[in-house]
Amino acid sequence: MKTTSDFPSINERTPDGQSNGGSAFKVLVVDDSMFVTKQIGQILSSEGFNVVGTAADGLEGVEKYKELYPNVDLVTMDITMPRMDGVSALEKIIEFDKDAKVVMISALGKQDLVKKALLIGAKNYIIKPLDRKKVLERVISVLK
Amino acid sequence: MRVEYINPFVEAAYNIMTEVLQTEVERKDLYLKKTTQPVMGVAALVGLAGDVEGRVLIDMSQDSAIKIASTMNGEKLTSMDELAKATITELANMITAQAVTKLFDLGFKFDLTPPSIITGENMSVSDANVEALIVPLEMPQGLVEINVAIRERA
Repeated sequence: MKTTSDFPSINERTPDGQSNGGSAFKVLVVDDSMFVTKQIGQILSSEGFNVVGTAADGLEGVEKYKELYPNVDLVTMDITMPRMDGVSALEKIIEFDKDAKVVMISALGKQDLVKKALLIGAKNYIIKPLDRKKVLERVISVLK
Repeated sequence: MRVEYINPFVEAAYNIMTEVLQTEVERKDLYLKKTTQPVMGVAALVGLAGDVEGRVLIDMSQDSAIKIASTMNGEKLTSMDELAKATITELANMITAQAVTKLFDLGFKFDLTPPSIITGENMSVSDANVEALIVPLEMPQGLVEINVAIRERA
């Protein structure tokens, strides 16, 4: 027989977007597509992450990272963007902060660029189309 | 135009749309057009240049485009606004990226242009000296035509 104690506590689990101390992980999203930026933002916010900044190209991404530092825990970085591509932006961010945690976002068929990014110091990558599970798994594996 | 050029685009469109729209997509019969063809209302255009050259159009009505963008965003969009255009652009990006990976594996080398979104009524497209192969894909959001005109560079 069910009793009231069978009701699950909905707040029992710490959302994945929060550190063990309870503060939200701070994320910078760098992507030239308004759609992808919104999609990543929605997935991360729903899990308690704090999207502290967005940038529409690599150059702006590097500037935003420097502005936010050290109050930024993770960057999601698109590869193909105008003005400065994601691999060059990654390089600049790692030059500035060798411990930066950057996850590359890539369309299929850019394996060579993804490999290059991992060699430079990207911590992980996600191949589009993005879905909630894929994004959260990769991002959390880098942060925890 | 050889059918092997269109198949990777149709397969990629089928795979990507099934995944991002989480719905059944039905592939209709392929047809060939040699002359000017009407464009439905919203077309994502990607150019190819290299061993092969030409263009790919991912063509749909404005109503279908808005419905597809709404599904992909998880919210009801009401017009072909910036977000809807960015969404259809991203859809075209994902489709061409997957198709091109296949064509590269077959040994073709070429560059792509970023997708452009063209919107309007009573539009048509003409391609000089190359016929277009068209594969319609039917889904609950409407009809999407994968329209490919590619030839080998002389």
